[in-house]
Amino acid sequence: MAYFSGKDGLVSFGGNNVAKVGNWSLSTTVDALEVTDLSLSDRTFAPGLRSSTGSATIFYTDDALGAKSLLDKIVKITATSEADITTIKLGWGIKGIQSSCIITSAELNCAVGEIMQATIQFQFTGVLSLATL
Amino acid sequence: MSQGPDFPEIVPTARSMSPGDFASKVFRSQSGVESRVQYGNRAFNKTLDLEYSNITEANAAAIHDHYLACKGTLSFFSLSLKTNSGNETFHINDGGGSTSNRFGANAFGLRYHYAEPPQFNSVKPGRMSVTIKLVGVLEA
Repeated sequence: MAYFSGKDGLVSFGGNNVAKVGNWSLSTTVDALEVTDLSLSDRTFAPGLRSSTGSATIFYTDDALGAKSLLDKIVKITATSEADITTIKLGWGIKGIQSSCIITSAELNCAVGEIMQATIQFQFTGVLSLATL
Repeated sequence: MSQGPDFPEIVPTARSMSPGDFASKVFRSQSGVESRVQYGNRAFNKTLDLEYSNITEANAAAIHDHYLACKGTLSFFSLSLKTNSGNETFHINDGGGSTSNRFGANAFGLRYHYAEPPQFNSVKPGRMSVTIKLVGVLEA
């Protein structure tokens, strides 16, 4: 049985691995639709819509494989559009999960004594799929 | 009035009933004293609102088709046993049409009609919510 740690993780954006990733996370939720009818004494539920969000912290570099290319999807002078929907892959080892997503927030931090880093959050759209890295 | 098919056997997720009122008229004197005259011995305009939240599309289709089979608000119909389930001492399904069938209409000389077209809301693929409003009117 193989364990994975931070050094096995990666974030891929538009087909290229993003350099200098500090961490990533994935969260998937399913709505619980209440279907309790008047003949029941206990609440019962059916699975509803599923939603996945993710986040990543990336140490900022100013090249194409750094955080800048992701930040450019949201921090820019033009309006965001459908063209800003991009495929993000979250990987560990040789496995990964990917889907199209909208970057919903980007936070850039620059502090004395620390490496400049960006935190992005994204909303996956559609179903997630498994990916082989 | 023509009779439509019985309402489908689906347990509602919420139910609200008002027993209606008797025909009467209030005469109020200038001093404020009221006299009330009763014009009928049966309550009418009983209302029964049923909600079906997150039911299957098959059950929603059964309600839709029942509404059409009743020609909308035109025909009267009887409720199914499952429509009244959940409050077994308030509404006793003894099948005899007694006045202990408190959610029902027949025992009170009433006929249930659709008060208005049902509302169908799509929740997700495979799940819908339906709201129907029934009114019990005195039969001719």
